[in-house]
Amino acid sequence: MKVRNKSGGALAIVAMASVVALSVSGCTRDGAGQGNGSGASPGITDTSITLGITTPLSGPTAGPGTCTVAGVAAYFGAVNAAGGVKFGDGKTRSVNIKSYDDAYDPQKSLSNFQQMVSDNIFAVTAGLGTPTNRAFRDAAISQKVPQVLVMTGDPLFSDRKQSPWQLGFVPIYQNEGAAFGKLLAGSKDQHKVAILSQNDDYGKGYVSGFKEAIKGNSSISIVGEQTYEATDTSVDAQLTQLASSGADVFFNAMSITPLVIAALQKGQQIGWKPSWFLPSNTSSPTAILQPGGATAYPGIYSVSFAKAPQSPVFAKDPDVVKFLSELKQYGNYPDMPAFPHCMWSYMVGATLEQAFKNMTEPTRDNFMESLRDIKGLKAPLMLEGTSVDTTVDGQPAVSTVVVQKYNGQGYATAENFG
Amino acid sequence: MSSVTSLRSNRTLRIVLIAVVAILLLVAPLVLPVFANQTLVRIGVYAVAVLGLNIVMGYTGQVNLGQIFFVGLGAYVTAYGVNHGWNIVVVFAAACVIAGIVGLLVALAAARLGGLAIAMVTIALPIVGVPLAKRLDEFTGGSQGISARFSDAPDWSRLYSDQWQFYIVLLVTAAAFLLARNLVRGKYGRAFGVVRENEAVAASMGVSPYRTKVLAFTVASIFGGASGFLYLAAVQYTSPETLSFGHSISLVAAMVIGGAGSIAGSLIGGAYYVFVPQLTNAIDPSFTTASQGAILLAVLFLLPEGLVSLPRVVRRLTRRRSKRPAPGNSPQTAPARSPVTEAAPEGLQKTERGKIGHEG
Repeated sequence: MKVRNKSGGALAIVAMASVVALSVSGCTRDGAGQGNGSGASPGITDTSITLGITTPLSGPTAGPGTCTVAGVAAYFGAVNAAGGVKFGDGKTRSVNIKSYDDAYDPQKSLSNFQQMVSDNIFAVTAGLGTPTNRAFRDAAISQKVPQVLVMTGDPLFSDRKQSPWQLGFVPIYQNEGAAFGKLLAGSKDQHKVAILSQNDDYGKGYVSGFKEAIKGNSSISIVGEQTYEATDTSVDAQLTQLASSGADVFFNAMSITPLVIAALQKGQQIGWKPSWFLPSNTSSPTAILQPGGATAYPGIYSVSFAKAPQSPVFAKDPDVVKFLSELKQYGNYPDMPAFPHCMWSYMVGATLEQAFKNMTEPTRDNFMESLRDIKGLKAPLMLEGTSVDTTVDGQPAVSTVVVQKYNGQGYATAENFG
Repeated sequence: MSSVTSLRSNRTLRIVLIAVVAILLLVAPLVLPVFANQTLVRIGVYAVAVLGLNIVMGYTGQVNLGQIFFVGLGAYVTAYGVNHGWNIVVVFAAACVIAGIVGLLVALAAARLGGLAIAMVTIALPIVGVPLAKRLDEFTGGSQGISARFSDAPDWSRLYSDQWQFYIVLLVTAAAFLLARNLVRGKYGRAFGVVRENEAVAASMGVSPYRTKVLAFTVASIFGGASGFLYLAAVQYTSPETLSFGHSISLVAAMVIGGAGSIAGSLIGGAYYVFVPQLTNAIDPSFTTASQGAILLAVLFLLPEGLVSLPRVVRRLTRRRSKRPAPGNSPQTAPARSPVTEAAPEGLQKTERGKIGHEG
């Protein structure tokens, strides 16, 4: 009896549920922002535009992540205080920034993106991280939401065919490796190069850019090549191996701060003192080179496109002074920026403003068009010889970098190797 | 007598309740806003992962800090299968089976070790998993991760993608919860309970602690794999960050917050895992970790048995308050937890376990 009762109940439930489901499925939902008749995209009104940033604000990458918000907030804070941006359609709008913490977790960045869509964000910008940006790239494309000037060296974001609604901001890894390769190829002397790289797309990108740039140059030979895993705690074995090759140039494509410091110290211990190349994100004078005792080496080279506020050379630079005061006042970032991402995202602000000025319609389509049409923009804080150029397919907004040499305190632009 | 009738009315009440919930769940995606659907989908994903964790940790008492590894493994298997054009049912089966086999192999070795050693082995899983996922880039796409889209709504369904995803997740999650419920209610559930309380007693009763632990661990891994499949249905992308060790700890926290050793608690745990970051983001995106910590502490201090015990605690408090004006009542009735009036599934669970404990 009981059994029959139960199954009967279950059947009734299923039947009833399907009846209700069928009757309700007739309902249509109002298009979530896609189909509004007035022509303006979500997130933009006659007086304001809202941008969203999803970036790590907690966890191990919180430092650079916080900077990506602070720079944009500082730039537009000052612009809003001065009245706002005059758009190409003649209306003056203030720019609002909404930030979301993804803790470098792809699942959370997707969730933040979905939240942004429901919060009516016009465009997503400046967020840091390759996996976190990749996680919602497909969703951004299918919902036609711009995901632009993001902080990732992944070339996918600058490929127009595959990423019609995306654009990377910072140089891709290959750009950096190639810049150093070019400098070295310009040297008249013979050079023996030892390469150590992280065994992933990061390290491979640097190495392939470097090799491309020195191709066919007979005065440069690669005498040793080693890799390490991003989780390794020591690269002593690789260094000893490379030191025995007698190289005078050490190309070290390493992204882990403590490993770089340890490597700088180990080289001195075993008496191998080549010139070094370090990637832009692991070449901080205060955080890496000083504790590593980098002055023992004949030269430490890195690349950059931003003026470093810490460097005495730029202490009185008007861009730097203005940037630091705005960062304090509007960016909620009172200290000297410890990561270049603060400067980069400030430039993102300037690039966005330029795109806004050229926008003739308040739509995302028009925004993408106008963003893809910026050439030769010298954003504040940019180094001599670099500029924003969004018109080249396959390249991020900034693809030019300047090789710099460490001078014991900060960096100065290096014209020649040696 | 009265307890028998109340049991029977409880049963009809429960059937009605289940019916209402089922109908609500089926209708919800059609009427809710997009973002609500997407949030519910993610809750389903993590509820299944927490459910698996609950079986091995909550019910069997073996510390498992590697659950996220199986979620990631399931996600990678799914991505690989989808990108190679496998049938989606095959993909789902593969995600569960491969995660289950790996879980079984690990458990065969780990369950021989006692207590904390199992925890150590499980810690190793995500720690090994992240570099492995980066290294095996033909399968995993390396550190840039891998996309796989299979959960966009097909045209014939005339649904939006978020609704379609909701139904996929609902189907798998409901099946997982039903299976888990039957498992922990049956003889295996009793075996889990007795192994958790006292392994010597279990052995004396003819329950092999080793086999039981291996079983619980394997089942947890299968649920992890299923959760990974759902992860890919919801996120459509996975990368080595998916299986980072920190998420494993968050899963354990979600399980404890929801309620260890409780099926309903797993669902609450999944909801906690998804909602709290959204909530703390809304409070202030710069202080998410601090506010998450505060919420965690608050829940654990106020409800040490997890959020699932909230109705019980509320009932106890209100009962005590209503007793206060009449001091003549016998004192021992107030704090006693009567199994009949408790939330039914948890109540049964508790009494069964209690019995075993007494026999031992």
